[in-house]
Amino acid sequence: MIEIVNLCKDFGKNRVLDNISETINEGDKVVIIGPSGSGKSTFLRCLNCMEDPTSGSIFFDGEDLADMKVDINKHRQNIGMVFQQFNLFNNKTVLENITLAPVLLKKMTKEQATDRAYELLRRIGLEDKANVYPSTLSGGQKQRVAIVRALAMNPKVMLFDEPTSALDPEMVGEVLEVMKDLANEGMTMVVVTHEMGFAKEVGNRVFFMDEGRITEQGTPEEVFEHPKNARLQEFLSKVIY
Amino acid sequence: MDFAGKFQVFWELFIEQGAWKRVLSVGLVNTLLIAVLGLLIGIVLGTLIGAVKVMPKYKLLPRILDKICSAYVGFFRGTPLVVQLLLTYYVLWPLMNVSVSSLYTAIIVFGLNSAAYVSEIMRGGLLSVDSGQMEAGRALGLSYGSTMMQIIIPQAIKNILPTLGNEFIALIKDTSVVSFVAAVDLYKTFTEIGNVRYEYFMPYIAMALVYMVLVALITLGVKLMERSLRKSDRNSQSL
Repeated sequence: MIEIVNLCKDFGKNRVLDNISETINEGDKVVIIGPSGSGKSTFLRCLNCMEDPTSGSIFFDGEDLADMKVDINKHRQNIGMVFQQFNLFNNKTVLENITLAPVLLKKMTKEQATDRAYELLRRIGLEDKANVYPSTLSGGQKQRVAIVRALAMNPKVMLFDEPTSALDPEMVGEVLEVMKDLANEGMTMVVVTHEMGFAKEVGNRVFFMDEGRITEQGTPEEVFEHPKNARLQEFLSKVIY
Repeated sequence: MDFAGKFQVFWELFIEQGAWKRVLSVGLVNTLLIAVLGLLIGIVLGTLIGAVKVMPKYKLLPRILDKICSAYVGFFRGTPLVVQLLLTYYVLWPLMNVSVSSLYTAIIVFGLNSAAYVSEIMRGGLLSVDSGQMEAGRALGLSYGSTMMQIIIPQAIKNILPTLGNEFIALIKDTSVVSFVAAVDLYKTFTEIGNVRYEYFMPYIAMALVYMVLVALITLGVKLMERSLRKSDRNSQSL
């Protein structure tokens, strides 16, 4: 579904991603773990070109997203993204947040988009919040709305950039629940997270990133129970889960 | 000094002979027209210039536009408003071989001048909107332009509303120079009253009062507008 070929990303003289090649298949639930500064978020953000790769290719739907001539906006409609800081549109109500892109990009009529939005809001139990502004929601509610905002575009793959890192501990669970449901429905997901429990339970593949490379990967069992890489062993020994 | 006599003369002209009608229906109306339309042009044009200023600059077109906008802002902030009025009325129009009334000239020049100042206010307003808002829009597949229009600019305008109020007040007061190009504003109508008997003492005191009341009213209006904006925030919270 997404094929990453020789992906490199430099920030100035600093090499953040070092020649990564990887394939993400349809239905994969890829969880990316690793120490901070290892390039996890940058890797994720390169997948929909929120960061332009310095070199290399990202093939999605048969086109190279790293190619500047490709209509990136068209492809982003099929790649949902959820941010650490939620980034709900502050000047729009919850309902408008969800319907804005589908209507503006002519994927749906206003009525269709509204019906779909209510259906999604029902799923996350926030139907009664449709007409409030994001400033009135709790962090967990904001993130759940942000997830369904991305889902409203019916994406083929969902990217999650540390979706629970900015949440109060009490609210982590409700967001992970929504993500688990999504995984069970067969959505292709790439998740950068520090929630090792989630990685074990939901992921079918775990990438361990260190110094801009994927230094180890495998099933959750392989990575968590039988880590081979010394840096990964050290990382896991320091993480409480 | 014969205050009573001066007052008597002013009263006669202003009230009894009805000069106040011209002050209100021509002077005040033109002053407001120039300031309000000038501000509107300024907001539209200034928003465009501000948006160009905050555009990412790795392509050629934004870089060229940015240079043009910098030159524009440089000219309109670097020369006095009166000079811009005179240049437009006595140099630009004759060069273009067009005849534009002094009132329209004033509106246009005030709009162009205001755009330069509003663009800087707007640039600050745009930069004050969290960058995550743009990222969220782009990640959904919206273009830079539609994210700007739908998400960033509305939030920026809300943030800079009080500063725009100040710009409006400045414009109102600056209209007092439009008589340089023969436009009739508040200043001109009061001067006309003075010209009748070469007695300017009272007319100019009255003029100052009118400007002060005008600015006080606008200040109040901006305050009410701000409060209602904040109230809508609160209301939405209690929903």
